[in-house]
Amino acid sequence: MANEKQPVCVSCGAKGPCGGKGLPTLKEGLWTSNPLAIQVLGICSALAVTNRLENSLVMGIALIFVCVGSNLFVSLLRNVTPHRIRMIAEVAIIATFVILFDQFLKAFYWDMSKQLGPYVGLIITNCIVMGRAEAFALQNPPLLSMVDGAANGLGYACVLAVVGFFRELLGTGKVLDMTVLDGKWYKPNQLMILAPGAFFALGIIIAVLNALKGPEAEEKKQ
Amino acid sequence: MKNNLYTLCYAAILGMACSVLLTATKNFTEPYRAANARADEIRHILAALKVPLKADQPSKRLLDIFNRVVVKRELGDMVTYEYVPSGTQGRVEAIALRFSGPGLWGPIKGLLALESDAETIRGVTFYEHEETPGLGGKISSASFREQFEGKSIVNETGKFGIVIRKGDSQLARNSVHGITGATMTCNKVEAMLNTAIQAFIEAKDIHGQ
Repeated sequence: MANEKQPVCVSCGAKGPCGGKGLPTLKEGLWTSNPLAIQVLGICSALAVTNRLENSLVMGIALIFVCVGSNLFVSLLRNVTPHRIRMIAEVAIIATFVILFDQFLKAFYWDMSKQLGPYVGLIITNCIVMGRAEAFALQNPPLLSMVDGAANGLGYACVLAVVGFFRELLGTGKVLDMTVLDGKWYKPNQLMILAPGAFFALGIIIAVLNALKGPEAEEKKQ
Repeated sequence: MKNNLYTLCYAAILGMACSVLLTATKNFTEPYRAANARADEIRHILAALKVPLKADQPSKRLLDIFNRVVVKRELGDMVTYEYVPSGTQGRVEAIALRFSGPGLWGPIKGLLALESDAETIRGVTFYEHEETPGLGGKISSASFREQFEGKSIVNETGKFGIVIRKGDSQLARNSVHGITGATMTCNKVEAMLNTAIQAFIEAKDIHGQ
């Protein structure tokens, strides 16, 4: 990675506020090292809440919010945070953002909050959020860290949405609660709603993404 | 030494900042959450009692209806909600009682409504649970709850209690089918329903009706 030549951000050039790293960072999180599809992080929540597309979308939004917020603050505080307690500090910041989002859901989207149950709170333990804070926000300026948080959150949200779409479609014949596959010729497959269905869906999606990238991507990494 | 002091101060300030922010949010959202919870509770009591309602009533209207036709009664520790339709001279049409207990991930709370004979089930609703979405979470789905309607809380030999059986098995007058993939949740729901039924029978014997 270190001696690899970084492509320059086309939107602002190397002199922009992100030092020319904005677009590559975005691409990294969304595609080349997508937290779910490539790094296979945070799959606990990805498996648990993706039985309906709506749940997946809200969960994706929650993760984007938490990732952007925690990356921003971890990055802002990176030069004053004592090294020994940096992880505790990160957890405190992450937990604050997660609880903020949870309270917001409980106040204004009561039904959704009830459906997601404990999983919004469990974002605190999501390895993606902590991983980005440790691996990126501690070494990079605030703006770029926000881009990284958004990219990884979006990367997670996109995969979640795809998994949620297929699980809801195949498991209930519906998309966003609208019947798409008619009960007359399609019998909903209960397996897709159950936990193993999520493993199959996510596994197939990861396989397809890897196939799309081709063998070169694997070799380049080594 | 100086370093330690700095670390302590940093932790204290960060902790303070986070908790101030969270307290502020909690205070800000408190009325909304309380209103949501109250409206939700009323909606569930009315739904369990099968009080005829037009769809999509605003919360305030529900509260009016609730105050007019539902009577809260206390039998010892037991709280029941009686549905007395207006214009029937106080004839009780249905009785709802709360049940609650530990679920798989968190507490489960709900309401069990009985017909005026206090034996036939009129409906079951769950207004709070944290069960796995799509598995145990299905306890709040209509297909699971509707099974209870018309069932009795007394079996053929006169013993009180509800039984949740595995799918496909024969059903008695006091049993319903469980949810595939959510056996633990079903067992816990069965236990809390029976605890509530026992308490109701005992309270009724002592305090009379």
